[in-house]
Amino acid sequence: MTMSQTKAAILAAHAANDLLNAPAPPLTTRTQGDVASDEIFMPLDERIIATASEALESGQTHYVDVPGIVPLRAAIAEYLRAATGSLVQPTSIIVTAGMQESRFLTIQMIGENFDRIAMPSVVHPGAKRALGVRPMPVETLACDESSGWLAPVAEIERAMQAGVRFFYLESPSRLTGAAYSEADIAAIARLAAAHGATIIQDQGLAPWATTAPSLAAQPAEGAQLVSIGEAFPGMGLGSWFIGYIAAPEALIPPMQSQKQIMAICTSTASQYAALEASRIFSEQQPGHAARLREIQAALRARLTDAGGHALPGVTATVLAIKAPSAPAGLEASLADGADFGAPGVWRVTVSFSTEAEAAVRELVS
Amino acid sequence: MTKPQQQGTNLLYALIAEAKTYKDTIVMGRGDPDFDTPPHIVAAAKQAMTEHHGDHVPPEGLLALRQAISRRVKAVNNIDADPETEIVVTNGGQEALLLMVLAVMAPGDEIIVPEPNYNTYHDALKFARAVKVSVPSTADTNFRADPEAIRAAITPKTRALLLVSPNNPTAGVISREDQQAMIQIAHDHDLVIIADDIYDLFVYDGYQHVSTASLPGGRERTLTLNALSKSFSMTGWRLGWVTGPADLMARVKALKAAISGGTSVISQYAGLAALTGPQEPVHAMHEAYKQRRRMVLDALDDMGLKYGVPQGGQFVYIDIGFTGMDSAELAQKILSDQHVLVYPGAAFDKERGQYVRMTFLQPEDKLREGLDRMRVAMKNILATS
Repeated sequence: MTMSQTKAAILAAHAANDLLNAPAPPLTTRTQGDVASDEIFMPLDERIIATASEALESGQTHYVDVPGIVPLRAAIAEYLRAATGSLVQPTSIIVTAGMQESRFLTIQMIGENFDRIAMPSVVHPGAKRALGVRPMPVETLACDESSGWLAPVAEIERAMQAGVRFFYLESPSRLTGAAYSEADIAAIARLAAAHGATIIQDQGLAPWATTAPSLAAQPAEGAQLVSIGEAFPGMGLGSWFIGYIAAPEALIPPMQSQKQIMAICTSTASQYAALEASRIFSEQQPGHAARLREIQAALRARLTDAGGHALPGVTATVLAIKAPSAPAGLEASLADGADFGAPGVWRVTVSFSTEAEAAVRELVS
Repeated sequence: MTKPQQQGTNLLYALIAEAKTYKDTIVMGRGDPDFDTPPHIVAAAKQAMTEHHGDHVPPEGLLALRQAISRRVKAVNNIDADPETEIVVTNGGQEALLLMVLAVMAPGDEIIVPEPNYNTYHDALKFARAVKVSVPSTADTNFRADPEAIRAAITPKTRALLLVSPNNPTAGVISREDQQAMIQIAHDHDLVIIADDIYDLFVYDGYQHVSTASLPGGRERTLTLNALSKSFSMTGWRLGWVTGPADLMARVKALKAAISGGTSVISQYAGLAALTGPQEPVHAMHEAYKQRRRMVLDALDDMGLKYGVPQGGQFVYIDIGFTGMDSAELAQKILSDQHVLVYPGAAFDKERGQYVRMTFLQPEDKLREGLDRMRVAMKNILATS
């Protein structure tokens, strides 16, 4: 065997892995004018800089506990309690190096207990990529426009009746910002309890939604309900890569072991920054969300007036637009629904800049 | 499950957890330098918080950092790496390790692992569902990885060879001749080499670190990891990298995007300052480690303990076979009795667990006290065994 044969085998396996090679949204600069990024650009509060700096200067430059520093885990637990009603203990929290690590750890490590995973046909490509590292069979939950590109409850029930016990869901949708209603969430939780299912809910966009109930807040004895998301979105920490996993304690050890294997811990600077963000989140974020909702409403109205088609959604930072194609020159700076599994849908990330408005104007022109 | 029954990484973390329950524990196990990160690096991080906190971070890392890494691996390791296509920035050496394993190994593939070796390789291989083929070494030869023993372990399923130099936990350094012999073996059997250079700046007694990828025939078949954790005392920043040929690195990059997406922008600017700023802190730390190493070896000689002479790294691997105890049990007794944390060899090589790893990553006074306590612990253990 020559070297080229070994490499050829490695590269061929790579090329054949459609999940790992799932297309990603375009890479653009995370500036105020970025309308494609998953997380909007926000300025960083001086208090966050001060706290992170103080931690570093006082010698917090060493390894810390694998699942995260205790006060941050407590702050995330409290945030989830206040925002979603989930009663999680700090010991049920793992601080991650961002949303993608949250996807990876939950899908891969909880997935070891199952023979397949159910995923919506429209989902953030990061979920497919995380699964692609060590693929397992996928049961696709068919989504369509009528459900806001969320997996319909009937589809989830169908999969459970077919024997699937491991699910990955988004609510709000990363593409459209649509979220399950209280009734839908209650129904999904009941199904999970009845079938002993385990469900991961990506609820990272929930703080921007008018309503986005959490599965983990539902009574569901016999089910295992896991929440993941960015830690304190809108606080300017997007490029610091800080996220969370909230899971029943029985599911924590394998994910914590894998976190140790793959990173030992999350950056201390990011953790102390997030800790300060937790203190000012409730003071700043609701105001940001309210302003973004106004901007989004204005954009939606402009689009509708021009004969455009905005998809329904409840998330202030997301405006999903139906259009067969993006105008030349604009496609590279919008998130393409095709990357999520919904061709003909384009996502504009709503921010405080005028770029989103410019993008909408071009889309309808 | 009691600690002696636990294995690998879980065993180490169980001991770490117990060590935290004592107020006066002296940690001589974990590979976390006692020095804080040099001030100019912290200053650069603070500046980045103001000026770059929202920079977009591609999965492979900031180009400026990759360019600095390219210059570093050329200057220190004599490795040519194109910053555009042959470098991926990672969340520390640990993520780099996992990425290299996943990039190369498919389920059922075999990898030759000279042992003892860093415990996380075992965990990463298990995650990849790959098969570790051990090639043991002993203190008698300073834990030399014998190329002929490695050649003999190769089967039709062998896809890769792991080379860690200086080795963790044995602190052995692979000589240039042995490195070249390994490359020849890899060439003869069409293997990829996974190389770990994380302790490359820390060698002693005239030993020289030689990077596999710098030697003829090595570059095109070698993935190499490194990180700033040990060299700049930046363990908490989680910053490392992988270099290698562009075709394999494309796979590493895709895996990085799938596993964590990117690396903290603040850590990356701190790393840029580390690589491009003053190097005196590294030299100062190296000098301190040299003195501490001497202190530890003198104390071990005085205790009559046998060990592999550490040619590099930041630790010494001590043979405790004469006690008749398993290393996990011994480490547990030393911790319980004298509140000194050393790492049991069973965590690194469960088949040959008659060693403990002791680091010299404590200030001299604390190190001295730790060694005194170790002396008492060993006396107590021998008196009751």
